[in-house]
Amino acid sequence: MKHTTFKTFLTSNLMIEEKEIISILENCKVKQVKKDEFLLRKNEHCSHTFFVEKGLLRQYSIDNKGKEHVLSFAPENWFVTDRESSYFNQPSVYFIQALEDSQVVFLDESFIQMLSNKVPNFTDFNNRLLHNHIRHLQNRINHLLSTNAEDRYLQFVKMYPDILLRVPQTMVASYLGITPESLSRVRKELAKKNFKG
Amino acid sequence: MKTRTVELIASPKEPHFVGDGFRVHNFIPSGYRLDMQRVNPFILLDYNSPYKFPPSSQPKGVGVHPHRGFETVTIAYKGKVEHHDSSGGGGVIGEGDVQWMTAASGVLHKEYHEREWSKSGGEFQMVQLWVNLPAKYKMSPPKYQAIKNKTIPRHVLEDNAGQIEVIAGAYKDVKGVASTFTPLHMMNAKLNKGGKADFEFPAHYNTVLLVLEGSIVINGSEKMPTNHLALMANDGENFTIEAGEDAVVLVLSGAPIDEPIAAHGPFVMNSKEELMEAFNDFNNGKFGYLED
Repeated sequence: MKHTTFKTFLTSNLMIEEKEIISILENCKVKQVKKDEFLLRKNEHCSHTFFVEKGLLRQYSIDNKGKEHVLSFAPENWFVTDRESSYFNQPSVYFIQALEDSQVVFLDESFIQMLSNKVPNFTDFNNRLLHNHIRHLQNRINHLLSTNAEDRYLQFVKMYPDILLRVPQTMVASYLGITPESLSRVRKELAKKNFKG
Repeated sequence: MKTRTVELIASPKEPHFVGDGFRVHNFIPSGYRLDMQRVNPFILLDYNSPYKFPPSSQPKGVGVHPHRGFETVTIAYKGKVEHHDSSGGGGVIGEGDVQWMTAASGVLHKEYHEREWSKSGGEFQMVQLWVNLPAKYKMSPPKYQAIKNKTIPRHVLEDNAGQIEVIAGAYKDVKGVASTFTPLHMMNAKLNKGGKADFEFPAHYNTVLLVLEGSIVINGSEKMPTNHLALMANDGENFTIEAGEDAVVLVLSGAPIDEPIAAHGPFVMNSKEELMEAFNDFNNGKFGYLED
């Protein structure tokens, strides 16, 4: 939720001099993306990993009935990409779209490669990020398979404390794999339990 | 007594929509010298300059959202707004009315163009203000002050200069109706062409003027057109405004609240921890429930 530049993100996590990071960062682009603009469309090749400095992106798919399914939200400080497309060279099945006017860093494969070569502990750090991402995906699958709407919702707000105030409820419901009506019911029941007004 | 000079005259930024019912120029908090701390206790000022909304059977507005840690003040100049909140409260803010909502520990509310007004559409003009609360009142119970236009006390100026509608605080011997948590003044100066009014507030009070209609000259020299906002310096107590043509000016002056401000989205607290708590409480239903 706080505006963090990619430079700050790297310097606070890697052993690297300010001077060095500036010359490395010349190799990636920071772009201003307007609300609703697409960074990736289905069937395109995803050639970047996106780091959100400011704003909010979402990754989603559309099924053959035309229904949207939100895979992830990427607010400030988050990465988002389609790894199947970017790493395994497949046409993407996803859309990545800005939900707010956003400031996004576009990282391509050669940039990641350069970081690995130039910064000694980048590979370790990148491993940790990857493991963290996999852990998050595991938990997400487990929750979708084994928990009820309320537990999914509580898990969601723990990870994304301010998203509910930034996106339409239908998108949150889609992320949780429940109907908007179920989401309303969950929120109503929580209010019944916790509201002392 | 010294003259309070003009520190900055800000022109209106490109308007943006809040929900689909409020087309506002944001003045506070924004960029140069108009951040929350500089103008505090006035921590947000959005101005919906006159804008014609076409008729709509579905009222336009802003859906359910929370607030905590401050008060919202809506001054309706043209058009009507209907609002509802999670404690079952609600009402209509009509032309000339003021709604002073103390969100404090937290409310969920929504606000839309009033249903009948929306059906016919028309010109809409409104000011939305956020007034900060000191730490000791941030978690006090929410409340409303619905102030009807006819109950707002007026000071009639001499020489047919116009009148001052005192919403809060005082103008000369006339006291405003709204109760406030910290000392502040809020008034509409409605001046006839050539009409003059003088103001006196303690020098350390943060003071802004918003010209809603017409144009004015401040302290006999600084010209200020419609839709502009003047930030007054904290270098004196007295200033005058004179209407170049019939003018309506919102005058705000308040004692700064000398505390840290931690703000994110609809919450304004004193620390990051309190902000996180606000998000948690909202997510966990502690603000109640309100149907969209």
